[in-house]
Amino acid sequence: MTPKPEILNPWQRGVPVEGKIFTPSVLLLIALALIGVGFALARTIGGLGNYTGMSSAYAWGVWKTFNVMTLTALGSGGLAVGLAAWVFDRHELHVVMRTALITSFLFYLFGLLGLAIDVGRPWNFYNLLFPWTWNVHSALFEVSLAMPIYCVVFLGFENAPAVFERLWYTGTPKMRQWATKIRPAALKAYPFVIAGAYLLPMGHQSSLGALMMLGGDKVHPLWQTQMLPLLYVIQAVICGFAFVIFILQASALTWKRPIDIRVIATLCSFLSYTVFIWLGLRAIDLTIRGVWGLAFEANYLSLVFWIENLTLLIPAALFMTHKFKHTAMWTFKLSVMAILGGMLYRFTPTAFAYHPSENASYFPTVPEFMITVGLISASLAAYAIAVKVLAILPAPTQAWFKQVDDWRLHYPEEAAYADHHH
Amino acid sequence: MGVTRRQALQVLGVGVATKALGKSARASEAKDPSHYDDTLGMLYDASRCIGCKACMPACNEANGLPADTELSEGLHQTPLRLNAQTKNIIELCEDKATEQHSFVKRQCMHCLEPACVSGCPFGALAKNAENGIVSWRADLCIGCRFCEVACPFEVPQFEWKAFNPKIVKCELCMHRLPDGSAPACTEVCPTEAVIFGKRGELMKDAKNRIAKNPGFFYEDRVYGEKEAGGTQVLYLSRVSFASLGLPTLTYGSLPRYSTKYQSILYKFMAIPTLIYIGLVALIRRSWKHHQQQAAEIERETGMLEQL
Repeated sequence: MTPKPEILNPWQRGVPVEGKIFTPSVLLLIALALIGVGFALARTIGGLGNYTGMSSAYAWGVWKTFNVMTLTALGSGGLAVGLAAWVFDRHELHVVMRTALITSFLFYLFGLLGLAIDVGRPWNFYNLLFPWTWNVHSALFEVSLAMPIYCVVFLGFENAPAVFERLWYTGTPKMRQWATKIRPAALKAYPFVIAGAYLLPMGHQSSLGALMMLGGDKVHPLWQTQMLPLLYVIQAVICGFAFVIFILQASALTWKRPIDIRVIATLCSFLSYTVFIWLGLRAIDLTIRGVWGLAFEANYLSLVFWIENLTLLIPAALFMTHKFKHTAMWTFKLSVMAILGGMLYRFTPTAFAYHPSENASYFPTVPEFMITVGLISASLAAYAIAVKVLAILPAPTQAWFKQVDDWRLHYPEEAAYADHHH
Repeated sequence: MGVTRRQALQVLGVGVATKALGKSARASEAKDPSHYDDTLGMLYDASRCIGCKACMPACNEANGLPADTELSEGLHQTPLRLNAQTKNIIELCEDKATEQHSFVKRQCMHCLEPACVSGCPFGALAKNAENGIVSWRADLCIGCRFCEVACPFEVPQFEWKAFNPKIVKCELCMHRLPDGSAPACTEVCPTEAVIFGKRGELMKDAKNRIAKNPGFFYEDRVYGEKEAGGTQVLYLSRVSFASLGLPTLTYGSLPRYSTKYQSILYKFMAIPTLIYIGLVALIRRSWKHHQQQAAEIERETGMLEQL
């Protein structure tokens, strides 16, 4: 693990970001989240129709099509980087796992909250407790059962080490004792649990695609395919990689951290390969179904189709070269491009390519928009707070020693425990 | 599609769950169309409909729904389309190609393999195993509106303005059937444009009408025989079905289309189990390397590994 001499600041461990937690930007995000809460309360009391642009023809609005379909794809970093690090045995990626996992947890959490705001009779969710009411053939059932379990149980477990680590350094002696006690058991279970944490999203991320198969002719034939589940789950992995590349660099810029371009470059390679697999599968699917002609019709949907493909193909192709994946400016810009392409693909089948036969249209209203903004703001605020409280963002080793000293400074009477641990 | 996810969940150890599911699950297995001959349905012959709309208030009355009088400012029933107060509507349509006009009646088609039932997460929408009526239950519905996304005929209507919204759709007046009554719309129709009966008999009747008068009906065929995998409400028309707003459907039975490969993937949970075992094996291999590395770093620097 000795760093190559030319690398000045390799990432070695997660270290909390220094500084005030409630900065003006975090307060602004919280304010936006609270406005969203206000609208959500109004919507709950006043009924969906009075606050949203949805109708029985366009029955799903931005909360489902964007917050659930699109943002949980961005929240698949835990799946994508996890597979790369543990299954493909890439040890250099462990250092960014915590960043991937916290973003996954937050996007899933607030995506599910969006789902709870969206449904008209949320109180009937109690049926989740009664297996005899379950329609196990329904893809939406799988989503509503597996997504909360994945978020709370699996992502909770995967994010727990960061929390316990903090408790171990700054908690009371009792907490430290407890953290030390459960550590061996948790370590033993770890490989078995994270295998589940990769299996589960493969199921529910593909089920999100399966939802639109039931939409039948309402979904444009360029998108309507029995391969939707497979394309959706692979797209989730693409979005996961792209978003982790983006958020690592955005965080480094925001909090003035060094960037370890070797790690970023590894992630970029994984992004490339996944995109090529995805584009290949999509090309095969269009060929088998014989609908390539639709891609060359002069309408805006064929434009959307090509934007989807090109915004993924361009970053993937450029990341195949050493230069682009080792230049921070390019990895940042191209990851944003891949994110937009991936989001567009996950959004389109439920939005642009969704055409009910009835003469109706949909555009989100101000309350719908503000609730969506509120949910996104809440996840960003939570992220900004989490990286200051917990050792999440990767940094050089020196930063870690400084941090531990800081923690001891705050809790001088506890310092002895940390010193005597080894 | 069949047993698939049900078996999947059994393996996961919620076998209790699945025993109770028996009935609705079996209903979705592949069946011969004649299996549905005894289910209840309607035959609507657009060429006989005079557009009197007597069926509309009759429907509202029979179902205890207040009439939608918004457009006429409270004077009389004037819905523009099916909505949360209108389970049944007569619309006037024009075939742009031939400039012919025709009325059309809209209500739930009671599909043989309903997409809404297949998608409904908690079985709030269910198809009766005997009479085939698709009906809605309040206590199981979470208001997700997947039924509206799934229904190729855009029938289910959500009460958008309500605090505790219901899904409103034709249930073939199933509450009246035990008294020997027929659906209200068929009872009041003065020209017998819409009649009530068993699907098999209605189909025979419709085909007789076509046979007696070849070339009279559009494409000499019955809409609903094959559409969406077959429906219990059948249509005859002189103008094109598309101009009546009856969609041209390409995917047949949507439940079957959407679960064709899932049923293989989830069969006995075998493939997910194999994937899980493979994942565990690969992760444990990587885990060993990782632990060795972590131990080395700990020895050198005194820093505990971070997971």
